[in-house]
Amino acid sequence: MTGRRSRALGLATAAALATVPLVVRRDDVLNFLFLVLLSVTLAESWNIVAGYAGQVNLGHAAFFGLGALTTRALWIAGAPVLGAMVAGAAVAVGFALLIGAAAFRLRGAYFAIGTLALGEILRITVGNVRAEISTLPAATIAGYRLAHRYYLALALAAAAVAVVAALGGSRLGLGMRAIREDEEAAEASGVGALRLKLLALALSTALAGLAGGLFAYYHISYYPAHPFSPTWTFDALLITFIGGVGTVHGPVLGAVFYVFLKEYLAIRWVDFHLLIFGLLFVAIVLLLPGGLVEAAARLGALARARVLTAIRK
Amino acid sequence: MLEVRGVEAAYGPFLALSGVTLTARPGEIVALLGPNGAGKTTLIRCITGLLRPRAGGIRWEDAPLDRVPAHAIVERGIAVVPEGRRLFGAMTVEENLELGAFVPRARPQRAARLEHVYTIFPMLRERRRQITRALSGGQQQMVAIGRALMAGPKLLLLDEPSLGLAPRLVESIFDVLREINRSGVSILLVEQNVQAALTLSHRAYLLEAGRVAGEGSAAALLDDPRVRRAYLGPLAR
Repeated sequence: MTGRRSRALGLATAAALATVPLVVRRDDVLNFLFLVLLSVTLAESWNIVAGYAGQVNLGHAAFFGLGALTTRALWIAGAPVLGAMVAGAAVAVGFALLIGAAAFRLRGAYFAIGTLALGEILRITVGNVRAEISTLPAATIAGYRLAHRYYLALALAAAAVAVVAALGGSRLGLGMRAIREDEEAAEASGVGALRLKLLALALSTALAGLAGGLFAYYHISYYPAHPFSPTWTFDALLITFIGGVGTVHGPVLGAVFYVFLKEYLAIRWVDFHLLIFGLLFVAIVLLLPGGLVEAAARLGALARARVLTAIRK
Repeated sequence: MLEVRGVEAAYGPFLALSGVTLTARPGEIVALLGPNGAGKTTLIRCITGLLRPRAGGIRWEDAPLDRVPAHAIVERGIAVVPEGRRLFGAMTVEENLELGAFVPRARPQRAARLEHVYTIFPMLRERRRQITRALSGGQQQMVAIGRALMAGPKLLLLDEPSLGLAPRLVESIFDVLREINRSGVSILLVEQNVQAALTLSHRAYLLEAGRVAGEGSAAALLDDPRVRRAYLGPLAR
């Protein structure tokens, strides 16, 4: 797809989604779309550091969780929710730069292992220190508007897609992809790998922190350790791989597909869907490394070829 | 001017360079010759900042280079065509070339240099939207040289640009190098193809087991019976 066409398509999709709360009065539809939009944000954010810069983050939930924890605390204490979300993103980025500055100097699996460890340490710590369920005050529940959450989710998802699209066409994005291909060759070509990896990580975890803040704003009650669960990391990872890692549209397609299938399968087979997603992941990595985006491109090419031969006849 | 003085480098316990000293003056083509494992690639890695020397010093334009990160060395005007080309395989020809001009010093003249590279290698213009993994070895070598030229270097390092290429292609690549040098770029060339390298260069160093075993003008080395015996074989010329 060309840049202008996909931008037009993106804007049209966002506009259509913006009218949904005006037309549809069903909460279950809005809740489902909210989940899709949250997943788009989280997957796109993972996609920046892992898909573009090639640094596999196995503790993305840590940054989602830090965003949720900070936002929830500040918001309940009386801060405006948007300010609280920005603070949550800042905390997430702070932790990310700390671990990135240490792990990025070493190549290989250190970053993956470091982020995995950070995620688990934070999950266990938060589970111990904040063991009680966090519930919104009665007054806040009384004034709860699902549409507000929905619009915030839409704005955030749109922002995440826009950030990745801008990055994809930029000089910095080019440098990140070079690092993913061959870090040493990138350095020797003049790409400052450490700085670019830290930039990718900061962008990625800022979005993850904002997504966590949205989670905290959305849920009436949850265990504070829940957003630190590795499930969030692997959701983001699976969605990105299913849709197409290192592409702009991949995580969007992947999120729609994944959330839909997950809800459907979870209703029918409870936890059995985890096994199905595991198999699906293996199948995609082995058979279709470009994900749904590649599948769509192949089908499109096939269809064009068919049409052309039909015309020639 | 590039000055390498007493450089020692090691991979773990293995000493790859023990006290290498050489210079490359502005406008020169200097060849670095020697058998496999002599330390030629190690020296290139030291100059480009990918490997830190254990002892000794490297200076470029009267400033030390040994603590400068690799990407900042490109900014100072030294570009490399690495061993094995090391292209970004999943990216297009043009993206690879663009990455050569990533450093700030190369930004302003990016478009002009791209045009220049396409003039030198018209084949690359035709294939600019193709991913480089799909190209032949010779075309990949052109991309690697083009990528280094995009940085607008004052000194170009090449690590075995002829490796795996057909003789006619080697000849045309060497012609290109001669042209690049005429435009004012100094060249430090690592080669196994001794005859071709000595024909192209002004001076050469012989590297053996991590030491400089000989040096001199290319013409003198071509006539040196020891060099002829060791590198060119009894049938040479």
